[in-house]
Amino acid sequence: MATVSFQQASRIYPKAERPAVDALDLEIADGEFLVLVGPSGCGKSTSLRMLAGLEEVDTGSIVIGDRDVTDSPPKERDIAMVFQNYALYPHMTVEENMGFALKLAGISKDERATRVREAAKILDLEPYLARRPKALSGGQRQRVAMGRAIVRNPQVFLMDEPLSNLDAKLRVQTRTQIAALQRRLGTTTVYVTHDQVEAMTMGDRVAVLKDGVLQQCDTPGELYDRPANVFVAGFIGSPAMNLVTGDAVDGGVQVGNAVLPVPREQLTRAAASNGKVTVGFRPEAVRLAGPGEGLPVRVDVVEQLGSDAFLYTSLADAPDDVLHSADLVVRTEPRSAVTTGQQLWLSTDRGAVHVFDAQTQQRVD
Amino acid sequence: MATLAPPVPDAGRSPSPAAPATRRRHRGGSKAGKPGPVTYTLLTLVALVSIFPLYWTLVAGSHTNAEIAATPPPFLPNASLFDNFQAALEQAPIGKAILNSVLVAGSITVGTVLFCTLAGFAFAKLQFRGKGVLLGLVIGTMMVPTQLAVIPLFMMIAELQWVNQLQAVILPTLVSAFGVFFMRQYLISALPNELLEAGRVDGASTFRIFWSIVVPVARPAMAVLAMLTFLTAWNEFFWPLIALTTANPTVQVALAGLGSGYVPQRSVIMAGTLLGTLPVLIVFTILGKQIVGGIMQGAVKG
Ligand SMILES: Nc1ncnc2c1ncn2[C@@H]1O[C@H](COP(=O)(O)OP(=O)(O)OP(=O)(O)O)[C@@H](O)[C@H]1O
Ligand SMILES: [Mg+2]
Repeated sequence: MATVSFQQASRIYPKAERPAVDALDLEIADGEFLVLVGPSGCGKSTSLRMLAGLEEVDTGSIVIGDRDVTDSPPKERDIAMVFQNYALYPHMTVEENMGFALKLAGISKDERATRVREAAKILDLEPYLARRPKALSGGQRQRVAMGRAIVRNPQVFLMDEPLSNLDAKLRVQTRTQIAALQRRLGTTTVYVTHDQVEAMTMGDRVAVLKDGVLQQCDTPGELYDRPANVFVAGFIGSPAMNLVTGDAVDGGVQVGNAVLPVPREQLTRAAASNGKVTVGFRPEAVRLAGPGEGLPVRVDVVEQLGSDAFLYTSLADAPDDVLHSADLVVRTEPRSAVTTGQQLWLSTDRGAVHVFDAQTQQRVD
Repeated sequence: MATLAPPVPDAGRSPSPAAPATRRRHRGGSKAGKPGPVTYTLLTLVALVSIFPLYWTLVAGSHTNAEIAATPPPFLPNASLFDNFQAALEQAPIGKAILNSVLVAGSITVGTVLFCTLAGFAFAKLQFRGKGVLLGLVIGTMMVPTQLAVIPLFMMIAELQWVNQLQAVILPTLVSAFGVFFMRQYLISALPNELLEAGRVDGASTFRIFWSIVVPVARPAMAVLAMLTFLTAWNEFFWPLIALTTANPTVQVALAGLGSGYVPQRSVIMAGTLLGTLPVLIVFTILGKQIVGGIMQGAVKG
């Protein structure tokens, strides 16, 4: 068990104009489950590979426990990694795959067998120990990859999108199993995903990356309730937060012909750069208001999910440049009587509005 | 000149052997890709044509010179084969030659497969300075004709006092540029980088990764290279003829001394050739299975 820390760590690939990971600062506590999330190409895998020692660190440093490992090869870092495509050795049986690292570490045959069997038991792999990876299903291969990591009892687990090759149902199931297993073993874990649901459900804390730059690292709840900037606000949550940019006017932000109320003090500070303010509110923070009150919208699509329903609407009288995204999404009761094409008026819950400086994109409280 | 072969997985999946079957299927002749009579007839014809020279060697080797020359020629082998074997063994040290050839071709095969796999792995998957230039050099050597190297090579061999010794034919061919390139192409496509990274994270040294991960993955290509190398080394004539004498020959050199006289004794030559070909046939039978197995495995895994 160990802490992990990235200290101003950057990676610039040869011939690239900008760093794939830019001055990453991240402190991961002992036993913590940290998720790295972000859109494709934001540098998640690169960060993880830097920690694994598979990618050079161009500037800054990486510390595991109290050891600076910036220049150590992978084998001196005491980490185990689960790859996206599992990277099982095709010519070895499940047992040999799981025991390979132990064999290299010079652990006796008996102890190896015991430890592999233990891990196999935890992961329900006992019947498959003598099989080759070729003869396993995707889910079983995934578990072997996990098993290969846990038999080593390493300081840190690294996982790069380990669930992305599974079907949706198995992914949800395995997601909870991995989280439970990690809690049980108490091993510090860094987990990469581009799926924000995975990030929110599994992580003790979630680090959001964009273009190689860390945007925010916080607990899932905090990330959801207090996103640090417009990017995080739009990235976390599904359907995404509604984000509207408009001029600051007396009492709020001008959206089309209506004004979204924003507390005066927040409004002044958010408008300080260029007079424009971005306002965000989540689909569940929107209420249907009486005719003539709040934002007038037209319903484009009604999406019934059973447990609730989402209305995809657009501003009824908005000039095109007003909206950040064309749609405002509203969550309502399931089986409500709203139909496509209907005109509605929306208001937002008091205190549920996120305010951002439209210029700097930063949150204003 | 050796042409640059495509990587093996593609060769394995290339549609040529299956083409007749496919065509039949399109004509709606047979069900679900099962080969029909046309396929079998074609395959039988090709097999007969390929096997005929070997069969003729057997037939000719088991008759006297006069019988072979008769019209119509004989079509079945007969018992004189063993007399001709005996004659061949008396005229040239074929036993010794076979032993020498096994030693020479065996060492060359082991060396070539080992060194070419090592170098191919390095060129395919390791990062080092000057990689491009070095690979260019290796490929460049394929364009130098062997004849050009014979005189300097012979001078070196003479200097080392290796004339008429087996190392004179073994050492110069322990690695081949073609083999390096062939293994490189195979490993680039058949060996995923993640596998090597998994090995490194698991704590393996580069050498250990080579033995425990690269070699098992490279096995089908190694078997192909081994077979090609063994055949080439076994059939090599020009350089062994220069470096060795008939007192300590390889099979091809020994066969050259067979049946020489005013009238060449063709039946003895054929009997000797048969003796000299047998070891190759045996090696092919053993390795052939491996190769087909390897190619199938690669294709199914896909
Ligand atoms: N070997 C490489 N050489 C050059 N550039 C690279 C290399 N690997 C990645 N990059 C670049 O670095 C950036 C970050 O890549 P990275 O693989 O870390 O993204 P990611 O967040 O893991 O994306 P994904 O979710 O698609 O896996 C990308 O812009 C990518 O093009
Ligand atoms: Mg990635």
